[in-house]
Amino acid sequence: MSAQLSEARPQAPSGAAPRPPSPLSIRGLVYRPEAGALIGTLGVFVFFAVFGGSKFLAAGGTASWLNVAAELGIIAIPVGLLMVAGELDLSVGSVLASSSMTLAIVSGHWGGPMILGIVLALAAGVVTGLLNGLLVTRTNVPSFVVTLATNFGMAGLTLGLSRVITGTTSVGIKPDPASKAVFGTLIGGQFEVAIFWWLAVAAVVAWVLQMTKYGNWVLAVGGDPVSARACGIPTERLKVVLYVASGFGAALVGVIQTCLYNGAQVANGQSFVFNSIIAVVVGGVLLTGGYGSVIGVILGTLTFAIVNQGIYYTGWNADWASFILGVLILAAVLMNNTFRRLALSARAGKKA
Amino acid sequence: MKGTLAHRRPSTRTRTAVVGLLAAAALTACSSGATSSGGSSSTSAAPAGGSATSAAPAAGSGGSSNISIFVVGGKSDDPFWSKVKRGVDDAAKVVEAAGGKVTWLGPQNYDNLGPDAAKLILSAKSQGATALIGADWVPDAQNQAFKTLTDAGIPVFLYNAGGVTEAKNIGALSYVGSEEELAGKAGGEFFGTNGAKNVLCVNTLPGAANTEARCKGVSEGISASGGKSSQLPLPSSNFGNPTAVTQAIKAALLKDPSIDGVVTIATQDADSAAAAIDQAEATGKVKLGTFDMDDNQLSRIKDGKQLFCIDQQPYLQGYLAVSQAYAYNAYGLRVAQESVLTGPAIVSKDNVDAAISGVKAGVR
Repeated sequence: MSAQLSEARPQAPSGAAPRPPSPLSIRGLVYRPEAGALIGTLGVFVFFAVFGGSKFLAAGGTASWLNVAAELGIIAIPVGLLMVAGELDLSVGSVLASSSMTLAIVSGHWGGPMILGIVLALAAGVVTGLLNGLLVTRTNVPSFVVTLATNFGMAGLTLGLSRVITGTTSVGIKPDPASKAVFGTLIGGQFEVAIFWWLAVAAVVAWVLQMTKYGNWVLAVGGDPVSARACGIPTERLKVVLYVASGFGAALVGVIQTCLYNGAQVANGQSFVFNSIIAVVVGGVLLTGGYGSVIGVILGTLTFAIVNQGIYYTGWNADWASFILGVLILAAVLMNNTFRRLALSARAGKKA
Repeated sequence: MKGTLAHRRPSTRTRTAVVGLLAAAALTACSSGATSSGGSSSTSAAPAGGSATSAAPAAGSGGSSNISIFVVGGKSDDPFWSKVKRGVDDAAKVVEAAGGKVTWLGPQNYDNLGPDAAKLILSAKSQGATALIGADWVPDAQNQAFKTLTDAGIPVFLYNAGGVTEAKNIGALSYVGSEEELAGKAGGEFFGTNGAKNVLCVNTLPGAANTEARCKGVSEGISASGGKSSQLPLPSSNFGNPTAVTQAIKAALLKDPSIDGVVTIATQDADSAAAAIDQAEATGKVKLGTFDMDDNQLSRIKDGKQLFCIDQQPYLQGYLAVSQAYAYNAYGLRVAQESVLTGPAIVSKDNVDAAISGVKAGVR
């Protein structure tokens, strides 16, 4: 699981050589970019272990933040890769909603087979990702704008089609036992099966980044797109693939939530847009791209989930939940940045 | 989002409704300009000569063949409004049997609800409405249009949204609908009579007037039996994510074992709360109730996993409003109350079968 991109980095045959010595994209990556994120995660865990007490540490409390982290993580890992490659994806909220509504309409409203609904739901995510990728690479419009537009577009399409087809905005479904077991079970009555999906996604992505050339490509594209292209990296195709992955991740969470809660609502999912970016940034990925790791994103997701749920174990007035969330996230990111700066300067000092 | 809010919680404004303001009857009768024979003391305030030409056919004209009642409602494919429309359609049978007609006007969407509804109100007037039934969702945008009708002596009845306050503002004859705080109070009292002492009101839209009123009502209702209710406000970072809502409710239940009741402001949150109660291993100990009603709630109530849900009975809103308008147009009859409350109706295991058959019939 050492999904660290930096270890693969020096093996890049052509990517590194012609590039200017940018401390962020080359030397910085030699340092483990997730070190700051790890301190953040441990910090908030200890914080809520102290103030949340034994209930937070018990199985139920652990499930609280693991369940939230698992669903968020399935989206945050591909979104994190996109951000390392220098692009944003703000459309994940609507992709989640359209995927879950697709499944609920096909297999619930129309009574089709579950497998058909699931395949079509995932296809909705892949197609949106493909559209995002093509628009971003072909038009050169900033991905912030393109994916913001597709987020609105998909939200409207989902609402409109749901209304036309079902006459309502909320559709129920009765998943068959197999689908329920694969996507929507609670293990031990507490832990969502999504946790395993999260681990699987993390393992696959980590393997691809560690063992293949694509990990270097992602970093190179985010660090210096012009040089990356000059070195022969198919930057556009790479970005399209990353967008497809991000659409797929969001659609998978849509399928999981639909099977878990036996229904879909058109308004679901929008909170994942910002929460995934928060998780990625807390995990040490630079908003500007070129720096980050899968382990970091996983840690960032855990940090967010612990803060998001831990507050309810403290017994403090929940009116303050958003405030505490904001303060802790800011603290985590500042610590991240400080840690990264220290690491980079120490490295630079040694070399000098 | 606005559209969703508009139809899910259609009676935001009704919280201001206050039952028992005596002056209202005189005011509403006055601006209708009609010779009302239904009210008791309010008849004295009706200036018969005010706008005699338009008022004469509007109220108690005797002949009902020229009655044309217009109803401005939500989209008829909206699940909530399709039930209202069923009530309107059923009441329309009486009107049509007497030679009159009832016309339903609804907006294409909820994106621009206030101005769109105002246009529909004016359209009803230009089509020769003898009575108008309308929901006052956005008083700032709609009241001018309503007043155009009342000034012309066309009787107006408010339903679903607006409450007594807005009915008085525009000179409407009555209000038919429900009231959030009263609905909450009924829920709180029902918790109390079923032995709950500490109820958590899960509010996924903290700060919104109608959801705050719902939780406030629950708190008032349960205090009658010595219990208490606290609010669990969930921030927008959890909105639309049932897992985060579920886990937050579970955390609150684990943190405070004295909680023995959970009430949610909407049906989706009730689904999350049911999962949270399961995962907190508090099934049977923590009772669940919710505002609004759908299939999931009813099947849980039938299975004994949920205590109740609160129905504002939209069918009655359409049915009673049209009946009132017809009785006034045809015979000059008026109910004595200035507001006719169609909710709250508590659906529990005692009457869940009737509710389920009502859902099948499309009226609940």
